[in-house]
Amino acid sequence: MANGGWKIARRRGGAQLPIALLAALAVALILIGKAQSNLFDRARANVTDWAAPALQVVRTPLAGLDRWIGSIGNLFSVYQENLRLKEENARLRQWQNAAVVLDGRVKRYQLLLHAVPDPALQTVMARVIGRANRPFLQTMILDAGKAQGVKPGQGVIDARGMIGRIFLAGDHTAWVILLTDLNSRIPVSIEPGNVQAIMAGDNTGAPTLDLLSQNVVLKPGMQVVSSGDGGLLPPGLAIGTVVADPSGGFRVALLADPASSEDVNIVDFKQKAEAPPAVSPADLPATAAGLPPAAPPAPIPATAPNGLPTTTPPGVNAGAPQPAAANGAKPPQPAAANTAKPAPSDATPDAGGAE
Amino acid sequence: MERAGGMIGGRILSAITPVLLGALGALAANFPISFLGNLVPPPLLSLMPLYFWGIVRPDLMSPFWAFMLGLLEDFLSGPGSPPGVWAASYVAAYAFLDSQRDVLAGLSGLGALMGFALTALVACVSAYLIVDVYHWRVQPLAPVLAELAVTVIAYVFAVVILGGIHRRVVGPLRSDF
Repeated sequence: MANGGWKIARRRGGAQLPIALLAALAVALILIGKAQSNLFDRARANVTDWAAPALQVVRTPLAGLDRWIGSIGNLFSVYQENLRLKEENARLRQWQNAAVVLDGRVKRYQLLLHAVPDPALQTVMARVIGRANRPFLQTMILDAGKAQGVKPGQGVIDARGMIGRIFLAGDHTAWVILLTDLNSRIPVSIEPGNVQAIMAGDNTGAPTLDLLSQNVVLKPGMQVVSSGDGGLLPPGLAIGTVVADPSGGFRVALLADPASSEDVNIVDFKQKAEAPPAVSPADLPATAAGLPPAAPPAPIPATAPNGLPTTTPPGVNAGAPQPAAANGAKPPQPAAANTAKPAPSDATPDAGGAE
Repeated sequence: MERAGGMIGGRILSAITPVLLGALGALAANFPISFLGNLVPPPLLSLMPLYFWGIVRPDLMSPFWAFMLGLLEDFLSGPGSPPGVWAASYVAAYAFLDSQRDVLAGLSGLGALMGFALTALVACVSAYLIVDVYHWRVQPLAPVLAELAVTVIAYVFAVVILGGIHRRVVGPLRSDF
């Protein structure tokens, strides 16, 4: 085997200087990459866009083989798995009933409280066309890109929970950094208790939890959802459950299984600026107390310095904005103007006399 | 059978074959489609031509090409991977290979496999340490060990193909006759 019979073309040590130079160059490259992490990203996105049709063609016949080999380990525990799933299914049906009842109650409370509705969530459905599982990197490639509105930072979910987030978007493809990847760090909230933490991937199947406060006690089984901090991910995306780490601390058992996900949704989270609710007549203290709205004050004719009423001189545009209006600021209106019974138009005071 | 390296066109082919196979190995290993359900990471296919011809034809597989193959590995491994990690690791592996060329070239059978395993270990440990320092966090060792194991097992089959290509296309250096 191997090299036993081959002669060496050059003696040992002949390439020491180039090796030292290249090692220095490689270290410089790493430092540059640390400073500018998207060094290759544009080229990578172009290559992926270019190779996407080939990936789709090659992936189709291999997907079945990939799934079959990936599930070989499960063949030996089919019976136990089936029993466990039946039990879990029965338990989940009970939870489903409870969830439906609670959902209706929450909606009723929201109506009563005039609660601000949840932010708009739009999703782009995409197909997984590639996966990379390297020692320092766990990613997948989707067949949707900038042309479909995909942007870096958006969350990726499947039917069970969150998988990762978009790291790089090409025109028609996008790279997803999985939650288990070394580069993944997202703010999460642990329920119940609304405990804030950072979930960090370390290339194992269960990401670690770095608690932001040391005065909280976690228990295995608590739910982990996205916290929404930072504004990129919507709050409340299901992620997983807390499990104890045998070596200390806590980890997250993810709900989603990126290895078997075929179709995923990319969450386009548009956080609208919260607007204060519009004032209704019932909100005014006087109206709410059952009193009639205050009568508008009688118009006061504007007077000139000499005491005579002013009139608009001929030739002056009566609709021309006054200095206050030119700034976009409206003149103060009387309180009655906000009531259900509007004041007569002729009663509107006009100190400038221009309207 | 006459080697392709005996003709003028064939000489160019023989000169580029080691690097070409290294680049093809990097492409194949980083093709983002799993055949094994992501149970194990793909082997470092580009390291095999680097090791093989780095020993027997270092004039065709120079440190520069080791650096370039590592850089290609970095580029193809996907976004988020720090650039330069595999470039530095392949240069480190080449430095080990260059310093131990006499010993490594004299090995055969299981010894030759151990020689490759040692070189792959240097590459994997270098990459592991660089990533640890880069992220300033100790990474789990299992994925790197899995990649090392898969790479060494794959070399058992790859060396047969590489040996055949060397005999038919590349051949020894003319001065070695």
